[in-house]
Order: sequence, then C-alpha cells, then structure tokens
Amino acid sequence: MNKKLSVSDGFIRRNSVLSGLMVISPIIVCGNTIMNALALIYAFSAITFTSVAVGAFVPKKLPYGVRIIIYTCLGALSYIPVKAAAEEFFPGVIDRTGIYFMLIAVNSLITVQSETKFYRFTKGKMIISLIRHILGFDAVMLVISAIRELIAYGTFCGRVVDADIVISGLGLPFGGFIILGIACGIYRCIAPNSKDTDDFGGDSDVYNF
Amino acid sequence: MFIISELVALLTTNLILTQALGTSTLFIAAGSRKNLLWTAITISVFTTLGSFGACLVNGLLPDNFYDLRLLFYVLVIGIIYVILLTILYFADRKNFCTTRKYVHMSAFNCAVMGTLFTISDSSFGADMSMGSYIMAGAEAGTGFIFAAFVLTAAFKRLNSKDVPAAFRGFPATLVYLGIISMAIYALL
Amino acid sequence: MLTLLALAVMEYFYCGVRAVILGGLCVTVSLAAEMISLRLMHRRFTADDLTCISDAIILYLMLPAIMDYKIAFIACVFSVVAAKNIFGGRKNMIFSPAAAGYIFLLTSWKGNLLMYTAPHVHTGIFEKAESLVNSASHSFNITGRMNYSDFEILMGNVAGPTGTVSILLLAVAAIILLFRRDISAGAFIGTILGTAVPAILVPVCSNSLESLKYTLSTNMVLFSAIYIISDRRIAPRRNYYAFFYGFFIAAFSYILVLTTAKENAIVIVSLLFTPAALGFRNLESHIDSLVKEEKQAEELWEAIKSGEYEIPETEEAAYNE
Repeated sequence: MNKKLSVSDGFIRRNSVLSGLMVISPIIVCGNTIMNALALIYAFSAITFTSVAVGAFVPKKLPYGVRIIIYTCLGALSYIPVKAAAEEFFPGVIDRTGIYFMLIAVNSLITVQSETKFYRFTKGKMIISLIRHILGFDAVMLVISAIRELIAYGTFCGRVVDADIVISGLGLPFGGFIILGIACGIYRCIAPNSKDTDDFGGDSDVYNF
Repeated sequence: MFIISELVALLTTNLILTQALGTSTLFIAAGSRKNLLWTAITISVFTTLGSFGACLVNGLLPDNFYDLRLLFYVLVIGIIYVILLTILYFADRKNFCTTRKYVHMSAFNCAVMGTLFTISDSSFGADMSMGSYIMAGAEAGTGFIFAAFVLTAAFKRLNSKDVPAAFRGFPATLVYLGIISMAIYALL
Repeated sequence: MLTLLALAVMEYFYCGVRAVILGGLCVTVSLAAEMISLRLMHRRFTADDLTCISDAIILYLMLPAIMDYKIAFIACVFSVVAAKNIFGGRKNMIFSPAAAGYIFLLTSWKGNLLMYTAPHVHTGIFEKAESLVNSASHSFNITGRMNYSDFEILMGNVAGPTGTVSILLLAVAAIILLFRRDISAGAFIGTILGTAVPAILVPVCSNSLESLKYTLSTNMVLFSAIYIISDRRIAPRRNYYAFFYGFFIAAFSYILVLTTAKENAIVIVSLLFTPAALGFRNLESHIDSLVKEEKQAEELWEAIKSGEYEIPETEEAAYNE
C-alpha cells in the first residue's frame, strides 16, 4: 500500500481529507458554520505547522514509539498559545466546538503522517508538502462548512440569507457524514489521479493492512 | 428493559456514530475481521486505562493549569503506549511485528483522546469516582466495538462492484454511517 | 403496488385532492431522481427500476397529507439518491429508502411531520392547513388510551398518516402480499409476534387485550411490518432468520414506545437494525457457499468412485503424501 510520495500531494491531488480521510471528525461535528470553520482552520494550521516543523528536529535514532509521543507532546504544547489566541479572536468558539478544538492538536498529520510523509522529504520540500496538506484540510473545511451553514441554518457567515427552506438535520453530525461522503465521491469523479486515492484512509499505509 | 435502555445509551453516546471520533481508525480496521477485533480490543484497553490516568490527572491538576490537561493526557497515553509495547514484546516476541501495529494505530487517535475529554467534561462538577471513570472508558471502548460490527456487517456491500466507482469504499461508508447516525439522532 | 394504490385511494377519501397531488409529486420526483442518478451511474433505466415508484408511495403514505411540497421533494430525492443509489441502487439495497426518507424528515422537520389534520378535513392544494392535531398514536403513547371506536380504528378514521392507520385495508394487503410471497413471511410474523407478546406481557393499558389491539394498530406497526421490515430486498432470505429479525425490531420498538413514548419508533428501529439484516444475509451467503462446496465435493467423490473422473497424477501424489 506504500505509494510514491510527491510534494504536490495534499491539496488537489490526494487531498488530505477527501482522499486520505484524515482529520474528518472536526469537519463532521463542528464544520457546520463558517465561523467554526475559520477557528478550526486557524487552530489546525497553526498547531500542525508548528508541531511538524519543530518535530523535524527530533533525532531519528530514537525509537519510533518515543518519537510519536514527542510529536504528540509538541502538538499539545502548541495548543496552549493557539487556544489563548482563539479566545481573543474567535470568542465563544471553544464552547461551540468543545473537545474537537483540543483534538486538533493530536490529529494524524502530526502523530502519524509526519513520519510516513513529511520527514521523508528534505526540509524545504517538507514545508511545501506540509503547507499543501494543511491547505487541503482548510479548503475542505471551509467549503463543507459553508454548504452546511447555508443549507442547515439559512445563514452565511452568521448573516441570514433568503433561503426558502432549511434542512436543519444537515447541521448535525449525521449531516456531516453524509455531506462529506458525497463530497468524497464527487472529488473522486473530478480530481486528477483520483485512482491513486486511498480506499481506507491515509493512515492505512503506515500499518500495511 | 434495562438491557434496552443500556443499548440505547450505548448508541446515543457512541464515539463514532454520534461524535465521529475514531472514524478513520475504524475504516482501516474494518477491512478484515482479525484487524477489526484486535483494533477494537486495543482501543478499549486504551480508553479504559486512559480514563484511569485521566482521573488521576484531573484530581492532581490545579484549576490554573487547566490548559495543560491535553499535555498530561498525552503523557498518560504515551506511558500506556510504551507499557503495552513492552508487554507485547516480552510476551510474544515472535508476533511482535504483527501485533505492535494495533498499538501504534490505537494510541494517539481521536477515539482514545476524545474519550478522555468527554469523560472529563462530563465529570466536571459531578465529582465522579475512579470506578465511574473506568466504567465510562470501558463503555466508550464497547461503543467502538459495536460501531465496528455495524461497519463490518456492511463492508462487503459498501465495497461491491455494484456501488458506483466514485463512491465505492469510504465515501459510501461515510454515507452509511451517516444514515445509521441519523436513526440514532431520531431516537433522541 | 396495487395494495399501495388502495391505501392511496383511502388517503384521497379522507384528505382530499391535496393528498393525491402530494402522492403524484412524490412519485414524479422519485422517478426523475432515479433516472438522473442511473444516468450518472452510466446505467440504463429498465422496467425493474420502477420499484422507485413503490418506495415513493410508501414514503408518501407515511407523510401527513398537508406536508409542504418542498419538504416532500427533498425527502424523495434523499431516499432515492442518498439511501439507495449511492450504494448501487436496487442491485445492492442496504436501507429501506422509504424508512430512510422518513427518518430524514423526522430529524429535520419533526414539527411538520408529526402534526395532522383531522380525518375528512380537506385542505386546498396551496392552502396552509389550520387546526392541526397530534396523531392517535401520539395520544395513545402519552395516555395509554385510544379515544376511537374499533370501527374507526379499522377504517382509519383517526388522526395520523392515513396510509398507515387504515388497519382493515392493511390487514387485507398483508394477506394478499403474504399469499403472493411478495413480502417475507418470517419477518412479518416475527414483527407481529414481537409486538404482540410484549404487549400482552407488559401491557400499555390496564387490559392486555386492549393493549394488544391498540399497539398493533398505532405507531405504524402494521404498515412497517408489511412494507418496511418484510421488504424482501432488505429482510433476511431464510424465514427463521427473518422471524428473529422482525421479532427483535418489534420488541425493541415496543419497549421504546413504552418507556419513551416515541412515536413511530418501529421505523427508527428498523433502520437501526439494518446491520443485523446485513449480518444475517452475510451468514446466509456463507452457509450457501459452504453447502455448495460440500455438494461439489460430494459430486466429485461420486464421480471418482464411479470412475468417471480420473485424478491427475500430481494430485494423486499429493494425496498419497
């Protein structure tokens, strides 16, 4: 299941969410308004970039298990200043998103994919690949949240839109599952190299199932 | 009646079906019954032992250092991770290469971390005992196992040739879980 | 289909032209959604795909006659596309499309779905209904009493989705469909027994017989037993598996009604038990393949004994080893 790695992966080609099925929980549960999406995008981008960039300096001689623990600790440490800033710029988002804001600090891009993807590149290519993966998540989160907010609440960015009918159920987690599933299907139809997509999530190549 | 109400509770607080935690792990594990069983068991072990650790952390951590909770939970799971790997290595060296992947996959995923936070948040102000923490962790693990069986039952159908190629595999699986989740929400 | 049409006629009798328009809309939208989604899947639309009309009518019969047309439109599209064709359509049925569409409406438009006009109150095609009432099932769940005579219950002269409360018509439909083997007998009998046994043992009312009577005639139990749980596309093929499948759905939903007064719980539970139905079907496929293998092995052995089949040398050597 090990596929050839490319720096261009993560955004359109082999999108981290739609193809790799990574970090889908915040999208499904909290990705129902644009304000939530912006806060989660900020948290995800800041924490993931910091953790993976700093984690690149962790010595590779350490056992795999210890390295994973260190990467996760880096994510947990990055979370503290990110949370403080979120409370300043996105008031109320921590209450709205609950545990999912914290869970972003232990997302699989930090804990698992850093070893299997990013640290196999040189530092420069690693940064590019990391940014692409982060942007991949950000784009999906924003688009899905915008669609869900429009359909489920009849608002856009908190402002009421003249929507004739609202499907409130799509703002709930099951709506997230269904819309994300349909989005993945549409992505497979239209994205380039969609035949290279992982069937069971981007983490599967780690475990060689 | 008690069994039914417990079943309903298991459904409505299910990690995957109502909180979407551990979905990727579930998808990876559902490919084969053996992987599914061992992954589910390992996650249950992590959630149960992790909730024990979470109880200790919550008891010892002052309110001022609330933001460090995540870091301490990570350390707790890290310790359990290392201990489990060590036990597996010494208990069954021959199969260590095969069995360690379940531990790698189960340690730092949303299902385990999400369980610890969910239990912590629900215990806030409720003064839960150690036993309640561990029971809650075990329940979460059981919920994961249940969701795993829900997915395994449909796995062949969701990957069959009749499913349109664009939706075959995890897009159809997401919609399937969404519809089951929708039925659970209808119960609430 | 004929039994469904008979129920639809009953709906027209009680609710007027608006019910017919709603039914027509559901059928048209489902048909269009089916055609478009089959086209997108690069499949031809054949006569077999007209089953979408039955699903549309089943869903329509579960709706109040005064349901908003846009909501009914969305429900039909959801049930055809998301609950059926995403999984491969009629060749790979996982959920009952009508049940999935109904639950979708329940989670998004609960207020619109569970309020009805009284029987014989006809609403204009584009009018907004006034003086809506709760269904008879709702009143029964809350109070444990039915304020209708047996005749009214049999004829469906009660508040509720008319397609699901016409008990006499449903009973006749059940008999016809059972004799024609269009529905799973095991699942149907299991559902009825699964409702009846708990209703007698743990009655809702003071009287066991009344509890049995009212439990079977409310909360869409009979309707679901015929058109959702006993759907041959979903229910297990073998009657003894289907029996237990139906039994547990019915028992579970009875207890939910008893403890939480959940209206139409059986539809929700039937959707939740989908993995059980799939599990039974997997088991049946596994048994069938084992039986087939055994049969093939027996035939091969008979052929070897009678000398019709010569074991190739390599195989014989391997066997001797």
